[in-house]
Amino acid sequence: MLPEAKAATTHGEPVRQIHDFRSGNEAAALAARDIGFHIMGYFPITPSTEVAENLSAMQANGEHDIVMIPADGEHGAAGICYGAALGGGRVLNATSSQGLLYSLEQLPVQAGTRVPMVLNVSTRTVSGPLDIRCDHSDIYFVLNTGWIILMARDPQAVYDMNFAAVKIGEHPDVRLPVIVAYDGFLTSHQKRRIDRFDDPDAVREFLGEREDPYSALDPERPVTFGPYMNDPDLINNKVQQHEAMEAARRVIPEILAELKSFSGRDYASVDAYGMDDAEVAVVLLNSAAEDAKVVVDRMRNEGHKVGVVSPNVLRPFPADEIRALLKNVRAAVVGDRGDSYGAQGGNLSLEVRAALQQDPDNETLILSRIYGLGGKDFYDTDAEEFFREALDAARKGRVDTPFDYHGTYAGDPSRSPPEGLPAIKPEEVTRGMARVTKHPETNRLEVELKPLWEMTTVPSRIAPGHGACPGCGVFPMLRQAYSVLEGNVVVLFQTGCAMVTTTGYPKTAHRITYIHNLFQNGAATLSGLVEMYHERIRRGEIPAAPEGQDTTFIMVTGDGGMDIGIGAALGTAHRNHKMIILEYDNQGYMNTGSQLSYSTPIAHRTSTSEVGSTVSGKSFHHKDTAQIFAACNLPYVFTASEGYPEDFMRKMSKAQWYAQREGTVYGKVLSFCPLNWRTQDDAAQDVLQAAVDCCFFPIYEVEKGHTTITYDPDAIGRRRKVADWLGKMGKTKHILAPEHADLLAATEAEVNTRWQRLKIKHEHPEL
Amino acid sequence: MARGIVLPDNGRLFEIRFESVGGLGAHAAGQIVASAAVLRMGLNGSHFSSYGSEKKGSVVRSFVRLAAADRAIRTSAPIELPDVVVVFHSGLLAHPATIAGIRAAGTLIYAGNDGEVPEGLCRLPATTKVMRVDAQTIAIEEKSRPNAVLIGTLTAALPFLDRQAMLNTLEDTFAGRHPEAVAANERAFRRGAEEFEIIENIGRIEGDLPRLSSNPLWGYRTAPIGGVLPTPGNTAHNDLHTSRNGWMPVLDADKCIHCGMCDMVCPDLCLVWSTHTDDDGKPTVTLDGIDYQYCKGCMRCVETCSTLAMTREAETPGKANRLRVPLFPELMQATGGKHVT
Repeated sequence: MLPEAKAATTHGEPVRQIHDFRSGNEAAALAARDIGFHIMGYFPITPSTEVAENLSAMQANGEHDIVMIPADGEHGAAGICYGAALGGGRVLNATSSQGLLYSLEQLPVQAGTRVPMVLNVSTRTVSGPLDIRCDHSDIYFVLNTGWIILMARDPQAVYDMNFAAVKIGEHPDVRLPVIVAYDGFLTSHQKRRIDRFDDPDAVREFLGEREDPYSALDPERPVTFGPYMNDPDLINNKVQQHEAMEAARRVIPEILAELKSFSGRDYASVDAYGMDDAEVAVVLLNSAAEDAKVVVDRMRNEGHKVGVVSPNVLRPFPADEIRALLKNVRAAVVGDRGDSYGAQGGNLSLEVRAALQQDPDNETLILSRIYGLGGKDFYDTDAEEFFREALDAARKGRVDTPFDYHGTYAGDPSRSPPEGLPAIKPEEVTRGMARVTKHPETNRLEVELKPLWEMTTVPSRIAPGHGACPGCGVFPMLRQAYSVLEGNVVVLFQTGCAMVTTTGYPKTAHRITYIHNLFQNGAATLSGLVEMYHERIRRGEIPAAPEGQDTTFIMVTGDGGMDIGIGAALGTAHRNHKMIILEYDNQGYMNTGSQLSYSTPIAHRTSTSEVGSTVSGKSFHHKDTAQIFAACNLPYVFTASEGYPEDFMRKMSKAQWYAQREGTVYGKVLSFCPLNWRTQDDAAQDVLQAAVDCCFFPIYEVEKGHTTITYDPDAIGRRRKVADWLGKMGKTKHILAPEHADLLAATEAEVNTRWQRLKIKHEHPEL
Repeated sequence: MARGIVLPDNGRLFEIRFESVGGLGAHAAGQIVASAAVLRMGLNGSHFSSYGSEKKGSVVRSFVRLAAADRAIRTSAPIELPDVVVVFHSGLLAHPATIAGIRAAGTLIYAGNDGEVPEGLCRLPATTKVMRVDAQTIAIEEKSRPNAVLIGTLTAALPFLDRQAMLNTLEDTFAGRHPEAVAANERAFRRGAEEFEIIENIGRIEGDLPRLSSNPLWGYRTAPIGGVLPTPGNTAHNDLHTSRNGWMPVLDADKCIHCGMCDMVCPDLCLVWSTHTDDDGKPTVTLDGIDYQYCKGCMRCVETCSTLAMTREAETPGKANRLRVPLFPELMQATGGKHVT
């Protein structure tokens, strides 16, 4: 049965539409498809990633021709979008939280140079500590960037506001980039009934063509974008920007009215519910306001004149509308899902107070409340408490508590999480499982390993009880590394699976000191700690360790972290801090649901490189990260597989030797991911061995500039075809289909080229 | 489209909560039920799941709200007072949170082996209808997934749900990427709709269950500042047995040569070794067994074992408890002898 369609467009009738059942992220992706943006630059971050994922799946089946550019990080994504928008086409991005903050410095650049685009923000709290759920602390950082900010309270609004965003931003009097912000998870991941447009011609006509006063792609009219502008000019440029925002104040209602005629759905700059005669109100953004409306219905039945005020536009701030709505309201709670620490109110609350202050006759009592941080659920009972507090203030004619946090918990001194395990003493883990000696002639290190059974007597620096998927390869890697590492170890994990699954508050699997930082900056952070360690020893503040017994510092990252974080990691490598960078390479952003990373091989299926009738997986080859670090002339670089423990453990013991004495070590470890490689949980050995035997993942080391292949499948007659490996994973089976012979050939050619070069390096005494 | 479907109480939303662990398909189940209701039965509806980063084996809740077509669904909050709770793994019934807030006139459906009546069921209201279906076995027999079976049982439990609409939605969901699964899912669905058992006289509670109110272990007066955890390795208190999916590795001590290879590949760090001195006075190690509190059943130990000492066996009730060798016996004492259930 086909979904019911509304009547076809005639004059005065809304456009033909289709009933659908979609989440906010899906609605954003559908809107993008229907708008037909030219380019999307993006980088995965929960909870906004699904926008790119949905577009990737649609693209694979030829449903749109938006060019999807997977950036190296959100900062890069913002740059891609800015550059693309300078070229005059329509541009889209989607991000959240730290991703928005990482792109923050680009946002005023784009607004100040007056280049429209649309950025969907699935709102999420900002670190730290890291929390992936909804609040508005990310979007509050953007208030001063000069972007227009539209709020979307449900998936229908997400869909509609994207169309409005294109038209508002491109309006000749405005010319500003536009954000559409909706609640992470609550809206981004919640499916609701929506109507979407079913008349591409009408949509095209509604949107019109983008017209830019200047283009970076017009050779007949060369222009300079972004001059060097000091005083006295910049302030005048900002007047123009201010005037554009003021123009938006006028243009937004006009375009929302056009949208109403087109869609049949009515959006005001400020959404008001029950406000005609309300004596008490709550002011909330997005989904929480909808929860509060349910309570309005209930409380009105009990005879309370209550209502909800909820801005659909946050920039320009609709102060006039809010003043008018609250004019006769005796008391209002303004709830903020994000604090402006030290300001005694979140940004919404402060701006509502400022708006009312302009009306000398206004007597509304305002209560500022911080609620729902980090995704703390907002139930009807919470909304009711807000109304009761406002009613109480209205009755008393005064506010007892102008500012407070709502829904917090002080704690119970008799309760606490379970105690940790005893600290591991250095002598328990300094057991000579790997004896490292320097060869007197070659000056290279040699390692003598104890048998594996003896390793079982080394206490694990990581405890069981972590939340990783069954079969996860990260933990074998850690187990193997910790078996041979001696003495004190301090680890920093960048954001990724290993971080998320080992430190779910209030528990930690780490039995040694562990630090998290975001994955664009882990190497730099650990560099700082390493230098503090040595400086405090130099100053005599902490005891010096005997030669070779310094604390070992290890930065653990996924391969995705070596995309966004490679700048910081290369900085560390060039400065040659005494530490190890250990990368578990599972060929994608597995923590966020298997998006492509630059280490994903060509043609592999991920959630942002889907396989369909027109697209077949990732479009470019995997990054050769080990060679990048080898080019930094580090003392030691290696690759290994968690399926080949002895080799990896030998290399880890060498890594520790070099990190304690000479400088930075980089190691890349092929790490099994059954969930996203789409294999059985117990297929590790088979798949990892095939990856190594087909030379896709060569096992080697570069010690003091000299390359040594430590496992050569050619030499021992174990070389297999690349297809043998690809056939073992669900994510790659399609490559073996006859119609993808070119992809298989491209993979084989690249693997062979890299392998042959490596062999030449292995054989050459100077390489 | 408008079939005049009438919900049991048109004055409020009808709410279904799916309780599961990642990988069993609860999210997909909720989506199928809600999609069918909205796109094929003319109802209004919403659907979402509560989960964090995508990890197989962690607790997942999925929520479906249904309403008459002209009734707005405004709330985005999780379902606290469900009409129906569908439990994908009987082990979850050990946690009161699984059934919290269920209505006295509501329905509880759980996946369980024949004859399996978990103790937790007695905490249900006496008037709640309780249905058991062997979703795991049916799914295996039909080469389907437990969720298809449970959707079948749910459809049987709720007469207002249109069976054909459910089947069509199930088909649509899989026809694209898994066409081979369509017929299998339909068989699983039909068996789920028929082969359930109604468990009588099990709940002991009067009236609706209260909504779950739980506070975190630390609050702002008691937690160390900055989110610091001064509790190294306290995940050792976690119990992850529900991550296993009907299968467990079992050690045959007679075949084991204690080579240590399994320990190198075990992601769950759950193998238990002891050190002692052999007859010649040399130190040696023995693999004593597996701590099933942590084992997620990936079978990497089985796959890597060269002497077939580790084998994959079906997990029957109580088996893990019987065979478990605790990795941290001192923790068991500290927590009052907490056992794997």
